[in-house]
Amino acid sequence: MTAHPVRRVEETALSWLTEHQHHFALGADALSPEGPVNASWKPLGELAQVCATLSLHTPPSDPLHARVQDLLTFAWHQTDDGALFVRLQQAEPFATYPLEVYAAFAAAGLRHPDYEPRAATVARTRGWQLAEQDPTRRLGVVLAERHSGIPGRAPLERVVERTWLGGLPEPWTFERHSGYALTHVVFHLTDWGRGGPGLPAELAEYVRDWLPAWLATCLEAGMWDLSCELLAVAASLPHPPDEATTHEGWTRIAAAQLPSGGLPEEASGAGDFAHTYHSTLMAAFAAGLTAHRGQGEYG
Amino acid sequence: MKQSGTTALLQGAVQDLASSVVSDLHGGGHAPPADPAGGPGRDLELAAARVLGADLLMPALLHRAPLTQDRIGLVTGTLDAFPPRPQAAPTVLWSHWAMARAAGLIDVSGAAPEAPDAAWIDGVPWPFLTHQLAVLAPLALPGLECAVTRAARDRTLDVARGFVRAVRRRDWLQAAGAGRWLATLEKVPDTLGLGTGLDFVELMGGSDARVLLQVRAARLLGTGVLV
Repeated sequence: MTAHPVRRVEETALSWLTEHQHHFALGADALSPEGPVNASWKPLGELAQVCATLSLHTPPSDPLHARVQDLLTFAWHQTDDGALFVRLQQAEPFATYPLEVYAAFAAAGLRHPDYEPRAATVARTRGWQLAEQDPTRRLGVVLAERHSGIPGRAPLERVVERTWLGGLPEPWTFERHSGYALTHVVFHLTDWGRGGPGLPAELAEYVRDWLPAWLATCLEAGMWDLSCELLAVAASLPHPPDEATTHEGWTRIAAAQLPSGGLPEEASGAGDFAHTYHSTLMAAFAAGLTAHRGQGEYG
Repeated sequence: MKQSGTTALLQGAVQDLASSVVSDLHGGGHAPPADPAGGPGRDLELAAARVLGADLLMPALLHRAPLTQDRIGLVTGTLDAFPPRPQAAPTVLWSHWAMARAAGLIDVSGAAPEAPDAAWIDGVPWPFLTHQLAVLAPLALPGLECAVTRAARDRTLDVARGFVRAVRRRDWLQAAGAGRWLATLEKVPDTLGLGTGLDFVELMGGSDARVLLQVRAARLLGTGVLV
């Protein structure tokens, strides 16, 4: 893979994110139990997650490092340097999303001294451990607990086995929903490109075998968001797919980017922030993982 | 889009002919002979036979099923009526060759000519490889080697990826053709789930007799039957 199109995608995507960072700001209703979590904490957590990884993999001498750090600092300040997590817990003690978002910051070394012991207290309850969630989300929560200093109780293997990917399904049954589940299992197990417990060898081999077919069909369908997630998965594998597979992907993603650097979720979709931010984040994430693969960490 | 009358007639003739091969493949006896008054014209029959190619002779190759004079005439007539131009697309050249070879093997005609050049398939991207192989599915017969079968064997994982792509694209004919190739190949990853995959392709696309023909052929070849 020549670095050029990947680097360009990363640069332009990060430019767009910087330009639009005010859209990630938490609103006045961020602490309300009825607040629009998917339009407030979720995007903010995703911004933190991606920037935590890119910060780790980008050398400080690279101008992109400062840009990523600025975005991360912005996101952390939105949480009042973590204090909002304590307030959020008081409002919704058994909601898991605050811990999931907090873990993204914690991965970048941004922690709040009071939040973690409070979260641990709640996580000790059977009620928390029995929360009914889909298996991929459950895996994310279990790993978020670990990142937040909460001793893990659930055996990771059993949690993974219950996911779509963990069951090694027929690859031709891959669809949008299962595709996102699959990519997130990989992200969770590799700690979003920062290490983590890693993919079991059997799962890594399975993904390597079938990712080219999934990526090709997502690109053909103009599903840019899921395509970028698959490119990130490709860069997360111990042995990445052949260069032709990813080269085609990067060429098409680069062509799909808007002049502003934003990347719509779908070729036929809307271009507003709600339908652009996640795919642009994933473009930056996948490009960063690809460009800096095997080049060490700078944490 | 509305089909032209000729296209619709040809598609109907292809469907009828494919259904009759499916029936023969299962030893279910031949489909009723075409009604001379209401059946397709000779030109249409030959054109339909050209679409199915060597698969017209698959029941005879695999089961030694007796061939009717009508079927023999259809095969020889098709070979005579559509000699490919030297510059024709590789799949056209190979389809013709596959039919000539099959006819030669069961003494319907003389020995097949030399196999066409196979360089076109070397190193092509796997989606194109799978597309071409699906078009040439009649060549997927265990025990009959040629450059195309060797190309498929060398790139089994790529063909399996092509099967996945075809199912995802709801291209049932390509999926069925790729599935037939995979049924003849070793080292297909277990995770593909070829058996349930063929069931799925039949479920979703089996109303097309050409799809059904390839799925049924795949299952038969998967049992280890040899030419």
